[in-house]
Amino acid sequence: MKRNTWFRWGVTACASIIPLVLLAIVIFLLIDSWPAMRFNGWHFLVSNQWNLGNEYGDLVTVNGQQVPPGADYGIGFLIVGTLSSAFIALLLALPVSVAASAFLAEMVPKRLQNTASLMVELLAGVPSVVFGLWGLIVLVPFMNHYIYPGLTHVLGDIPFFQPPTGAGYGLLTSSVVLAVMIAPLITSTVRGAIENVPMVQREAGLALGATRFEVLVKTVIPGVRRVIIGAGILALGRALGETMAVLMVSGNALGYLPHNIYSPISTMASFIVSQLDSALQDASGMAEHALAEIALILFAITLIVNVAARGLLWLARD
Amino acid sequence: MSYVSSEPGITPVFRPNSAAYRWRLLASTIGWSLMALMFGLLAMTLVAIIAFVIIRGGANISWATFTQTTQSYHGLINAIEGSVLVTFGALLIAAPVGIVTGIFLSEYQYLKTARLFSFLCDVLIGVPSIVLGMFGYIAMVNYLGWQFSLLAGCITLAAMIVPYIARTSEMALLQVPGNIREAAYALGAGDRTVIFRVVLVSCVPQILNGVLYAAAISMGETAPLIYTAGWSNYSWNGHFFHEPVGYLTYVIWSFISEPSAAAHQLAYVAAFLTTLIALLINLFARSTLRRKNAPH
Amino acid sequence: MKGMFKAKGLRTGSLVIKGVLAATLATASIGAANATTTIQETGSSLLYPLFNLWVPAYSKAHPDVQINAASTGSGTGIAQSIAGNVQLGGSDAYLSGAMMKKHPHMLNIPVAISSQMVNYNLPGLNGKHIKLSGPVLSRIYEGTATYWDDSAIKRMNPGVDLPHHRIVPVHRSDGSGDTFLFTQYLSFSHPYWHKKYGYGTTVNWPAVQGEIGATGNPGMVQALKDNPYSVAYIGISYKGQIDKDGLGEAKLKNRSGNFVLPTVETVPAAAAAMVPKTPKDERVSLIFAPGHNAYPIINYEYTIVSADQGDMAAPLKQFLNWAVSTKGGNASEFLKPVNFMPLPQKAAELTRAQIAKIH
Repeated sequence: MKRNTWFRWGVTACASIIPLVLLAIVIFLLIDSWPAMRFNGWHFLVSNQWNLGNEYGDLVTVNGQQVPPGADYGIGFLIVGTLSSAFIALLLALPVSVAASAFLAEMVPKRLQNTASLMVELLAGVPSVVFGLWGLIVLVPFMNHYIYPGLTHVLGDIPFFQPPTGAGYGLLTSSVVLAVMIAPLITSTVRGAIENVPMVQREAGLALGATRFEVLVKTVIPGVRRVIIGAGILALGRALGETMAVLMVSGNALGYLPHNIYSPISTMASFIVSQLDSALQDASGMAEHALAEIALILFAITLIVNVAARGLLWLARD
Repeated sequence: MSYVSSEPGITPVFRPNSAAYRWRLLASTIGWSLMALMFGLLAMTLVAIIAFVIIRGGANISWATFTQTTQSYHGLINAIEGSVLVTFGALLIAAPVGIVTGIFLSEYQYLKTARLFSFLCDVLIGVPSIVLGMFGYIAMVNYLGWQFSLLAGCITLAAMIVPYIARTSEMALLQVPGNIREAAYALGAGDRTVIFRVVLVSCVPQILNGVLYAAAISMGETAPLIYTAGWSNYSWNGHFFHEPVGYLTYVIWSFISEPSAAAHQLAYVAAFLTTLIALLINLFARSTLRRKNAPH
Repeated sequence: MKGMFKAKGLRTGSLVIKGVLAATLATASIGAANATTTIQETGSSLLYPLFNLWVPAYSKAHPDVQINAASTGSGTGIAQSIAGNVQLGGSDAYLSGAMMKKHPHMLNIPVAISSQMVNYNLPGLNGKHIKLSGPVLSRIYEGTATYWDDSAIKRMNPGVDLPHHRIVPVHRSDGSGDTFLFTQYLSFSHPYWHKKYGYGTTVNWPAVQGEIGATGNPGMVQALKDNPYSVAYIGISYKGQIDKDGLGEAKLKNRSGNFVLPTVETVPAAAAAMVPKTPKDERVSLIFAPGHNAYPIINYEYTIVSADQGDMAAPLKQFLNWAVSTKGGNASEFLKPVNFMPLPQKAAELTRAQIAKIH
């Protein structure tokens, strides 16, 4: 066996670009957000305001950093907005996707299966900003005029479902858009797993007198639950980092926590886009450093979520 | 809705005619109907979005869309050109790197480094696109001083799709049966020959599919470009640095918030075009994939 | 066997590469054909529609000059201009003292006067032009005046049948020059607001029950339309849409205590009152101007320009001088569609003196 070691080194060097890119992302974000970390401290993670300070005042020195007087940053509301919208999206998408994938795998005749699954999987190919536009023009008024009044009417006694419902921009609308975006990802993964469940497992159930539906619900789906959880967490990671679609329908709340399910929210990803322009007017640059700190925290959160998901999917493979 | 399987041999044999069993049948029917409904819900959303972009955007498409720039809201040629340029630029960087990385991941999978890199690819795929955009802004636009520029946009997008191309290439290469490799090695071929002359050529279509999907992803991205590529009302003037470029997704996001109806129409047309391109690439990639897989 | 693989693979590969090259070259050649001077502008979304009217007219008269305008936001305009990436940074506000100290070579060049409306949706009263003041708006946006028939609003509007309905305050939730202007009006007319909340492009709005955060001016108009009993601040460029949708436009209390609408009399009156207070570098807020007939929320729309331009100095000066001339960019054919007003004579003189500093 003849091995070209130089070839292997070349290939390895090229492949090393991936870890280098990751490293570069972390290093640049760390350097750029360092002044913000010094200035903000830990209270950045829990308090709720985004105050650039008096842009026309003379800069003052706080915690060794120059900032406009009154500057004060805290992203508790962003963390809450990001997590709540992503979790509600997952809550909406998971049952729909698992049902749809089981339907595709078990009920659709083989010759139609490709076309039918195309109807779901193409949804994943629609650009995020197009979801945003559709959300803005179609979904926001629809939620505002039909869904929200209905929800307050039926579930109005439950906390978080009580009015006021605002203008249709907000937590639930964002979650619905996110759910539509992540559902195809979950559906295709789970469908693959259901199709891979050995036929004998189904036959055993049927032989015992169970209906096909009972076989599905009692043996097939429990058998792929690790895949479902893994795909769900992976989709959660996607929802946490989604930017444009959320930006256009979330209402971009600033400095306060959502008081009900209809409230405007902001997510970390969308906030970076909506606030970078304002941040550039800050002569001290602190606002921009604080946005870099948000990017770094978002990076850390999605990293944890993705590692957990990959771990689960890896376990499910065995 | 039938509960009876279409596959021969797994039709339930035990079928008592009791009330309890009829209830179970009813529950099954309701269950299947609900599942069909959930599938229908997702399929209808796709139809609704496609109908939305066709009705709002397709109807407003005209000759000027492809001949005039966004200056004074006449056409989209600068944005179309920019989208194509940014995507091709990203692919020119990401495709070679991604495919070679894919080779490393699959052909050297017995190495610990390869398994680690494969995992890091997944980590990079999971990084939100706006984080990459912020990174591009800090590193290239500001630190390297490239300003809003074509290259800053291309490299940011390339960083986003490289792990994707690497992983799809890896998958494609792993599907090549091991005995082909063994036969080639037995004939005395080295790594380079085996990989390029034997393994790689047998899965070119699958690898190109990965690249095509990556092209679709970069065409539809907005967040990584806003603060790296910037925006321009003019066609690209040949500069890689210091000059912003336009792209279609920006029009969708930005023009919809302007006062004039003409701006809104362009936003819809841009949405129509980006959706059309993304979906066509997806359909094309799937059809070639199926053709290739058919003989197996 | 090997040969066959090779031939097939190579053909597919080279075809793709050829295609990519051809496409790249084709687009590159389109770009290379434009060998003219390009002035880059980016920034304020309020200024952008005006640039869109200016550019075709100016390019027609000066075919060798291209102007590339982009609507990105005032912050981006300022940052890009300071960085030297664009020649013109569109901004709704002048640079702060701290910014000027860091970048003393930057000029704040006003090119037109803009104003801001306060709009509302009160079924039956939208044609009425109800009266509002800075302190009342402060209390509405703070959540201390919660009903339309609040005694303070009633006192201002005798004879108007104000409904007993909760006020829905609408504010911008993205960073915005409009928020900057509106909160300046609140701050200058009501010291309490100034002390407690201040002004800026991004403000930590106090939480008010039922309030709405909207994105962009179109979002503000939409929120007004969708929510009866709401109130919002909107850039004057959107006046056409407000009228079309049948929404109300409030008369605002000015420094002299009169209630005025933004018109061709009241906006220039406010501008004229502020001209004597405009320093040579023209860094001044025009909000809450004195004068019996002055509209309280007006502002200079600035282009932020570096004085050091090198080769670009000549075409840039020519364009800016055209832009501020009443025979050029300040003519009503350009300003009227966006409801802007020309610079007052005296301010235009200051502006031209500033333009002359570009070298």
